[in-house]
Amino acid sequence: MSKLGFYLRIYGKIIVQDVKSKMSYRSDFIISIIGILLTDASELLAFYITFLNFPSVCGWTYHEMLFLYGFSLIALTPLQCLFDNNWNLRHYVYDGDFIKYCFRPINIFFYFISEDFDTKGIGQFLVGLGTLIYAWRKLGLSVSFISIALLVVALFSASLFMIAIMNIAAATCFYLTNSGYVIGTMSKFRDYAKYPITIFSTFFRLIFTFIIPIAFIAYYPSLVVLRPENIPLLTWFSPVYGIFFFYISYKVWMLGASKYSGTGS
Amino acid sequence: MNSVIELKSVDKEFKVLNRHEGLKGSFRDLFSRDYKIVEAVKNVSMTIEAGTIVGYLGPNGAGKSTTIKMMTGVLQPTRGEILVNGRVPYKNRTSNAQNIGVVFGQRSQLWWSLPLIESFKLLKDIYKISDKDYKDMLALYESLVDIKELYSKPVRQMSLGQRTLSDILAAFLHNPPIVFLDEPTIGLDVSMKAKIRDLIKALNKEKNTTVILTTHDMGDVDALCERIIIIDKGTMLYDNDIEHLRNFFGAYRTLKIRTNKNTEVVSEEEANEQLEIIKSKVASKFPDNDFIYGTEEGWYSILLDDSKIHLMKVLSFLQEQMTIYDVRLEEISTESVIKKIYEDSERMKKQEKAEVSHES
Repeated sequence: MSKLGFYLRIYGKIIVQDVKSKMSYRSDFIISIIGILLTDASELLAFYITFLNFPSVCGWTYHEMLFLYGFSLIALTPLQCLFDNNWNLRHYVYDGDFIKYCFRPINIFFYFISEDFDTKGIGQFLVGLGTLIYAWRKLGLSVSFISIALLVVALFSASLFMIAIMNIAAATCFYLTNSGYVIGTMSKFRDYAKYPITIFSTFFRLIFTFIIPIAFIAYYPSLVVLRPENIPLLTWFSPVYGIFFFYISYKVWMLGASKYSGTGS
Repeated sequence: MNSVIELKSVDKEFKVLNRHEGLKGSFRDLFSRDYKIVEAVKNVSMTIEAGTIVGYLGPNGAGKSTTIKMMTGVLQPTRGEILVNGRVPYKNRTSNAQNIGVVFGQRSQLWWSLPLIESFKLLKDIYKISDKDYKDMLALYESLVDIKELYSKPVRQMSLGQRTLSDILAAFLHNPPIVFLDEPTIGLDVSMKAKIRDLIKALNKEKNTTVILTTHDMGDVDALCERIIIIDKGTMLYDNDIEHLRNFFGAYRTLKIRTNKNTEVVSEEEANEQLEIIKSKVASKFPDNDFIYGTEEGWYSILLDDSKIHLMKVLSFLQEQMTIYDVRLEEISTESVIKKIYEDSERMKKQEKAEVSHES
């Protein structure tokens, strides 16, 4: 436990410093937040236009779809904010700069991931929260301590899945020289996360549930709040599965790092 | 004296795919299982005592970085034993890291976007440095270099020299028994180099820190190293102190004489002619000696082994033969000795190869 406290304390300090230094580039900071707000707004607009023509998609109404969308945006925030350095991993490995992470008496994965806090995630979180609250009210879902608590647990486990997918995708650079395609492709899958899995064919349903488990990013966990009368078993299973999947991705990442030896200098 | 680093017949091999040429070859490589073993480090043994500054030298690709990576726990040796502070580094990477400091080339290990003092504060937490030790260390730093003005500067905005300086200070911050410095003065101007050398020397003295230094700059070696280890193609060529190094190939010294009153009037042709005369005279008087002759700016130089033939004998002989206006004696530089060691190992390798191919 003292170890966890040690890491949390360091983590907090690094993040505060990093955000502080990023905010000192005022225009950069503001533009990046406006940028992500515009991206999300245009997606919402596309949603809206689609539902002007179709009252529902496979039995999912406009507001239910909005709920999923908002849920997925929030669930992806920790990935965006805290694990964004995974995108840079392949450059560090390719140039041999990754070696610097091997000389400190702390966990390499922690050290590497803690180095960057991406402030763009804040805008994404706000849009997601707004969308979720709006859909929640329009759907007339009950607000109780239980439903909020369930939502938080659901969001927590949902966030683990995409982080795990990206950990593994990033770790491929320890084995492949040109792993940019892997991480790029994997990150595209998050776009499918906001759709109810029932709209896909059985084949893709299986893939998105067990192989690239993006169905857990919004669909399964959000059912706890969205359709509480008919919750599938996988939903209850998702926190355990999320932690398990995250642990596997961490191990893959660390295995890659231990294989790494850096280039000569 | 207690040893802080111990290497016992350490080997490190890498498995490398045998690559084929051209596009066709690249396709073949995709499915090829044709690996070859490259020996980066062969049978290296050394014992390093606490508090010494060791120069770890060798040409590019000699195996220096590989050895250091093994000592820092990043790489596991294929064979042999390594003990650093009494620990096996690759088995205890984190506890080993707590007791070493590393500066690796031009790769800064500080937080790129943070002001230096914030990086120091983070390191204080990571290495669990007590408030008192931290304060004392900063006070020491401030007494040695003008570091205060850098505290609020983000590392990203620093010049290469400032960054190297900061990186070295960061490596010493938790007062580790051993610090590894991989080419700390690379790319720096003369005055910054001197500053860095003074700093390393002072920190080594003050804290009795063992320093393992790799460099291609003989200035670093002359200014800092008490002991020198030379490695080439993975094999150790030399391991002794710096005084012995100069005598490694015998006591080489350079005798320089001037035979003209005025240096400017000597043309290149005249100089070469005069050198030929000196050459033939000396060679006839002292046969069986391979002196090396040269001329530069009106000076004629003879490089000779003082242990075989006394320099004074050559000088007095020359004095009988011609009028000498000026004399200079020069010790052979570290640079030329090390160059000679590299070249000799190269020549030996070639000879071995030739013998092997001759036999088969």
